[in-house]
Amino acid sequence: MKFLIFTLLCALLVVFLNIVAPYWVVMIAVTGLAAAIRPSALGGFIGGGLGMGLAWLGQTVYIATFTSSSLPDKMGALMGLGTGTTLMLLTAVLGFLLGGCSGLLGVLGRNLLQKKPSNVYLG
Amino acid sequence: MKYLSFFLTLVLTCALGILVSLPFGQVPPLAPLLDPNHGFWQNSFSEDQLAEETLSLEQLSAPVEVVYDEQLIPHIYAQNELDLYRAQGYITAKHRLWQMEFQTLAAGGRVSEIVGPIALELDRMTRRKGLGYGAEQGIAYLKEKDPATLALVEAYSDGVNQYINQLSDARLPVEYKLLNYRPEPWSAYKSLLLLKYMSDMLVGDRDLEYSNLKKILGNAKLAKLFPEFPKENDPVIEKERVWDFTAVSVSKPDSLSYPEETLQLDPLAQPAEGAGSNNWAVSGKKTKNGHPILANDPHLGLNLPSLWYSMQLTTPTHTVKGATLPGALGVISGFNENIAWGVTNATKDTRDWYKITFQDASRKAYKYGEEWKSSTFRIEEIKVKGEETFLDTVVYTHYGPVVYDQSFKADRQDINFAMRWIVHQGTSNEQKTFMLLNKAKNHADYTEALKEYAAPAQNFVFASKTGDIAMRIQGKFPLKWKEQGKFFMDGADPRMEWQGYIPFEHNANTLNPERGFVSSANQHPTDSTYPYYVFDNSYEHYRNRRLNRKLAELNQITLEDMQALQFDSYNLQAAESLPVLINLLGSHAEGSAAAQKYLTEMKAWDFFADPAKPGQTLYSIWFAETTESVWRELMDQGAPVLRPNNYQTIELLSMSPSDSIFDVHMAEGTQTAQYHVQVGFDSLLVAMKKWEETEGTYAWADYKKTTIQHLVPNFKAFSVANVYTGGGSGILNATSGRNGASWRMVVELGPTIKAVGIYPGGQSGNPGSKFYDNFIPIWAKGAYVDFSLKKKEDQKGILFKTTLN
Repeated sequence: MKFLIFTLLCALLVVFLNIVAPYWVVMIAVTGLAAAIRPSALGGFIGGGLGMGLAWLGQTVYIATFTSSSLPDKMGALMGLGTGTTLMLLTAVLGFLLGGCSGLLGVLGRNLLQKKPSNVYLG
Repeated sequence: MKYLSFFLTLVLTCALGILVSLPFGQVPPLAPLLDPNHGFWQNSFSEDQLAEETLSLEQLSAPVEVVYDEQLIPHIYAQNELDLYRAQGYITAKHRLWQMEFQTLAAGGRVSEIVGPIALELDRMTRRKGLGYGAEQGIAYLKEKDPATLALVEAYSDGVNQYINQLSDARLPVEYKLLNYRPEPWSAYKSLLLLKYMSDMLVGDRDLEYSNLKKILGNAKLAKLFPEFPKENDPVIEKERVWDFTAVSVSKPDSLSYPEETLQLDPLAQPAEGAGSNNWAVSGKKTKNGHPILANDPHLGLNLPSLWYSMQLTTPTHTVKGATLPGALGVISGFNENIAWGVTNATKDTRDWYKITFQDASRKAYKYGEEWKSSTFRIEEIKVKGEETFLDTVVYTHYGPVVYDQSFKADRQDINFAMRWIVHQGTSNEQKTFMLLNKAKNHADYTEALKEYAAPAQNFVFASKTGDIAMRIQGKFPLKWKEQGKFFMDGADPRMEWQGYIPFEHNANTLNPERGFVSSANQHPTDSTYPYYVFDNSYEHYRNRRLNRKLAELNQITLEDMQALQFDSYNLQAAESLPVLINLLGSHAEGSAAAQKYLTEMKAWDFFADPAKPGQTLYSIWFAETTESVWRELMDQGAPVLRPNNYQTIELLSMSPSDSIFDVHMAEGTQTAQYHVQVGFDSLLVAMKKWEETEGTYAWADYKKTTIQHLVPNFKAFSVANVYTGGGSGILNATSGRNGASWRMVVELGPTIKAVGIYPGGQSGNPGSKFYDNFIPIWAKGAYVDFSLKKKEDQKGILFKTTLN
């Protein structure tokens, strides 16, 4: 459940914050969100990755569809990467990596701050 | 353990975040480029998808309305000129910022800042030609003599800067994202620099080549191969024109000494061959509706974003429309409610070279007559991406900058040449000329506007609603004795100085000539009766004659007739020379099936260079190979020289086929023109065999492969290649592979002005916009878009409106 909520909130955060802030501010925000929601480490990585990766993919698909621009294909050719579709996937993968690492960092950072309860008998 | 994993992840995340923000070699930073909200994806939007009802532009005295028509042509309605030009700067920057900045970087010799040491030689050359120096002089002149114009140029500059300051990452032109830099502030200096750069693009000189030819050929042969006037001279100003003034006298020194050496220098880059332009106006007596019609099509390198940007500029006192030059104020080629005007390059040798004799290695003084004159030093600081700033010391003499010297381009260390060029003088005000033309109401206003204009010299065509048509060859032309400046001169000899300038009133011009039309196509400005010495190497000999013949024979002319004439693809050179070639070929081609096929195709050709015609392809190769053969020995002298022009070559082939000029010293026996024509034909067969094997079809458009290239040639995906269109060099539709009609405009000056225009590009500078190249298919088939003047209240055909306040 935490994973799903984190993924969803992460995607929303990327969609809205990224309009006014560059990618590295978004990374910091994803880190904070992961620390606040505190999914599992794997959940933080996958959730952050999917949140940012899918948000970026969705936005590129929306832009390409809405504008019908030839620019993605031109950029693909210019960068030697074939078509615009390759660039969409590349954007998504980059978003996944940036979001994933940020999510994981948030979870691990929060874990670091979490004090081990001292009044619990651990056997 | 958890500390370790945290710090590892922290390091990894930071490293990733930083890594994707850094460029690697030519690859720009990945994350800022791919970020869908700030990177290149945002450049996919066309302007109408981003339309805003209001935009903030400070320092306006009243709101300015901008109405875009369906072609994204902005119509700017302002209450006064300060507001108008501030808005022009803002709107131009909004659509063409990267291009205008890139062009001024090139003009200022600053390309190395963006692309690194690869451009250092280019930048040094640009600076050594003194374009920046000239623009500084221009600003100083405006400050002192014309602060009113300077205020307008500064308002334009402020408009550009306000746009730059508002610019978000998302709206940053994609070229900045790819080349990883940001725009810097615009300035009045840059606007002036841009106009100097136009001079550099359009002005050539062949002093170096002619100096060598004089040594190699001697005076008599030079005059035979390079005559000052062609046999059939059809000049800009009609031959019937009587020069009703007393010319200023020029005293030619009794004896002349020229520098003795055969010069091995690399010549300066020259304007591209085939670059040229047409303009004309026909009087009401020759038109169907009885109103004058004016046409203009400047031919330049075909680039994207296009050199031109269309606009209508309106204040309560005037409305003007046409082609603007992003970075410069007003309309450059256009029309208003009363007049229309257009420009073609008035090729004249106005750039001369003087050999400088320095007193010693310090170069602080140079010989001038009996004395030593002091020189000055200008240190050019050239920033180089990824390297230390390069400091280049340029010596300035009273003639101008010493372009070639011990540290630059000279193989011989004792050779120093100073360049004398009108562009270095700040005593002209080209910007004002265009602003006055924009408001001109009649022929007197047009003449008054041109008084301010010095360079690059242009043939200004004019037509007015009141029925006048006119042509004026305007520039600041040095007074020269015969052949002065054709060759390098000795700067130590004061007698070699220019002796002043041709007075404005004596510049060749005509008003309402009897023949009912005025025209120019880069040919000789006048016939030999003009009382001043005029010389250039690159005069046109074919487009002008075709144009004048058609204009003379046409009557009841309509706007459509003039459009068709701009797109006329009749190859007069081929019509005059192909029969000569075929005749000289004799029976040489017999026995080869391929040869017979090509010959048959050429014989069946109607001389129109239409895109589907193979005859034009075959002729162009055959003729080029023939001239190559004829002039091979002349060109192979180990020093830069020129070959005689096509007109003179054809004249020799047809009239003197047995002339000794055709004899090849390296070959046995005596050769005549026939030998070279046959060699040319054999080369054609070889070239065509290769072409057909690798490319297949050789229809003209498939062969010439007209390409409209992005200003960064490496950005091939932003270029438009293989445009299916006809025309070629020396043809009215002068569209060759990389050059052609950069702007076509036809205007009928009736009670309601009718106008059409087109250029090979689009209004947007953004390669992602649908308006980036949407004019190209229209241009390629010779069609136009409506360019009528729009009133603010016109609601038809509006794409969107924006209010600036």
